Amino acid sequence: MVDRPLLQVKDVAKSFFENAKEFKVLDLVRFDLTERDFVCVVGPSGSGKSTLLRIIVGLEKPTSGEVFFEGEPIRADNPQVAMVFQSFALFPWLTVEKNVELGLEAKGTLPEERRKIARKFIDAVGLTGFEDAFPRELSGGMKQRVGIARALAIEPLLLCMDEPFSSLDPLTAQNLRDEILQLWTNPDLPPKAVLMVTHAIEEAVYMADRVIVLSSRPGRMIAELEIDLPRPRNRKEPEFYGWVDEIYSLIV
Amino acid sequence: MLTDFHPIAKVSVGQILGLVEAIDEVGGVADVATISQEVEMDVDRLGPILDAAEFLGLLMVHEGDVRITDLSRKLLSANVRERKAILREIIDDIPDFRMITDMGRKAGRPLTRKEIIEALSVHVGSHRAADLFKALVYWGRYVELLRYDSQSEELTLRTPSK
Repeated sequence: MVDRPLLQVKDVAKSFFENAKEFKVLDLVRFDLTERDFVCVVGPSGSGKSTLLRIIVGLEKPTSGEVFFEGEPIRADNPQVAMVFQSFALFPWLTVEKNVELGLEAKGTLPEERRKIARKFIDAVGLTGFEDAFPRELSGGMKQRVGIARALAIEPLLLCMDEPFSSLDPLTAQNLRDEILQLWTNPDLPPKAVLMVTHAIEEAVYMADRVIVLSSRPGRMIAELEIDLPRPRNRKEPEFYGWVDEIYSLIV
Repeated sequence: MLTDFHPIAKVSVGQILGLVEAIDEVGGVADVATISQEVEMDVDRLGPILDAAEFLGLLMVHEGDVRITDLSRKLLSANVRERKAILREIIDDIPDFRMITDMGRKAGRPLTRKEIIEALSVHVGSHRAADLFKALVYWGRYVELLRYDSQSEELTLRTPSK
């Protein structure tokens, strides 16, 4: 069973209903994720990409279709799936270390062990030195690093990221993208696969092995592209821009 | 007047590294207008970050051209931990920062925020001392030379890990 996909998204559709009228936001989205996949879902606003991510992590039910994780229907409390949010979602009254420990507490890990694991991932994201700091004492990029450390600390197989850089200034965002890619090349660290949602085409081409392109309203899959550019990627190279242009022309 | 920490007081490590990465990507040298366009940040916002990177020795500005240095290249090819070590050496040598670490060593006990701000006020005036303190804590934490508890408002010296 080595080849079984980690994640299977099978013909997922989602509609919202208002005054007996149906608003379709997602239609027939279908793709798989296997180990070592770094996949980005791109689409304009209104393509339902964040809804798709919420369905994939089990926070929302699809109107039709199914999501399987390791062959089983997805559950919201699956500890093998972690999420990084656009808004960081940190608790302001907890220190960096306590924020990172949260997911471990939910898993029932003992305090001494929690501390050890939290420190390991705080270090991995470059936040050693800030263990006792509160979120208000951190820059935006550092807040998102806490979000990433917290997600990694539960040692998930799948890491989901919902527009993780869109609250950051362009320079901080670029620096963090590179650091995440650096972490991703370390096989000793979780996760086994990454699924990231973004509206920024350049960002998707910069980071992903595979890009899934959604149309707007309802979000339908219009392409699934293997980005075979060598890493590290240079956004100034013609091949890079070729990919960006291709995706851009698909969306517009 | 000890105001030498000023250039890096208002920017984050991530912004400085992001800027260096961006210039590296366009070939290691560019004029400010080009950089501003590349990183989609106006010159007013970019200015303090350019100043900070230049102050740390990561950029050279000459006749409108901004060029990355050997130190930048070293930093770009380093991992997160190595980057901290490189920046630690630079930060540790800045007189404002040195003043705090010397104070801590001499006292042999945790320093309070109040006494540090008083000491800084003598040099930079009280209105700037609080901001400077914040910046010293930020960079000191990043390079793992300072530990600060914002609840007890106590600052201690720290030995970097590994």
